[in-house]
Amino acid sequence: MTELDVRERVLAANESAARTLRERFRAAGTLVVNLISSPGSGKTTLLEATIALLSARLKLGAIDGDIATERDADRLRRLGIPAHQVLTGGACHLDARQVQGAMDRGALDDAEILFIENVGNLICPTSYDLGEDFKIVLLSTAEGDDKPFKYPAIFARAAVCVITKTDLLPYVSFDLGAVARQVATLNPAALLLRVSARTGVGMDEWCALLEDALARKRAEG
Amino acid sequence: MHELGLATEIHRRARVHVEANAPARLARVVVAVGELSAVEPDLLRFAWQAVTEGSADDGAVLEIDWCVARQQCMSCGETPARATGAWLPLCPRCGEPLRVEGGTELDLVRVILTIDEHVEMSP
Repeated sequence: MTELDVRERVLAANESAARTLRERFRAAGTLVVNLISSPGSGKTTLLEATIALLSARLKLGAIDGDIATERDADRLRRLGIPAHQVLTGGACHLDARQVQGAMDRGALDDAEILFIENVGNLICPTSYDLGEDFKIVLLSTAEGDDKPFKYPAIFARAAVCVITKTDLLPYVSFDLGAVARQVATLNPAALLLRVSARTGVGMDEWCALLEDALARKRAEG
Repeated sequence: MHELGLATEIHRRARVHVEANAPARLARVVVAVGELSAVEPDLLRFAWQAVTEGSADDGAVLEIDWCVARQQCMSCGETPARATGAWLPLCPRCGEPLRVEGGTELDLVRVILTIDEHVEMSP
């Protein structure tokens, strides 16, 4: 018997790819946000509304992860931004090598803000660093106000929590205060935003957050 | 989390060491898994079995070194034990947020090989 002490991170290959990506994004001055939520919480719809407000003054780009179909990337391309669809073929998250593959195609090199729309899932994407500046978790009012404590890892690690579909508040049982308390418990530094991509309420604050983060990244060089 | 992908990655990393020490067989791997790494040990063992079954490493054992998180209340100084599976970092005594350290390990720690000394090397 030979015992080898190796001490390697199991996800070292992903972590190394994420470091390479982070350096690439830093050199290019690209702000990268990793959007994570359950399916149907409105990631693509939020991005469509964001493109409508920001694409006249900023170059935007997107990488969309899904098990199947090009639907999400098609929706964003229709609004005139470069978007690459990663088909995971069953895998429940994006990893850094898939993001590298998408970037190596070249169409996203000029983006000033790159949106990575992860596979709809509140669990697995949490553990994979994609070289992003920060993670954003979306929670729609129709999903219920108990999700932060039920899926604590992502709410503890996301710098920003966006409550989506606030136009549905009159019709659903959703206690915003309860969500705010759960998020503050899991991550006292997290920012909580409320938006309705449909009515536009909260969109200015959301866009300002992205533009401020981009300005800070540029100032840091 | 994604235990099958992790088991595949553990196996791929272990194979690198097996091949570097050829001729050798993989007897056991030891992985450190933190309680906050969102990895379920039983699912990881099951995935390991699925990944190695029928391969050259069929029968190799996956040993999990479970690593608990350390936590301390910054308000009252209490250092409560973490309830199994609990994520909420609140002090059970005073309700203030706890400082949590460790528990996020996900490391391949040791690879144990059987090296057959009697294999004749071809000239």
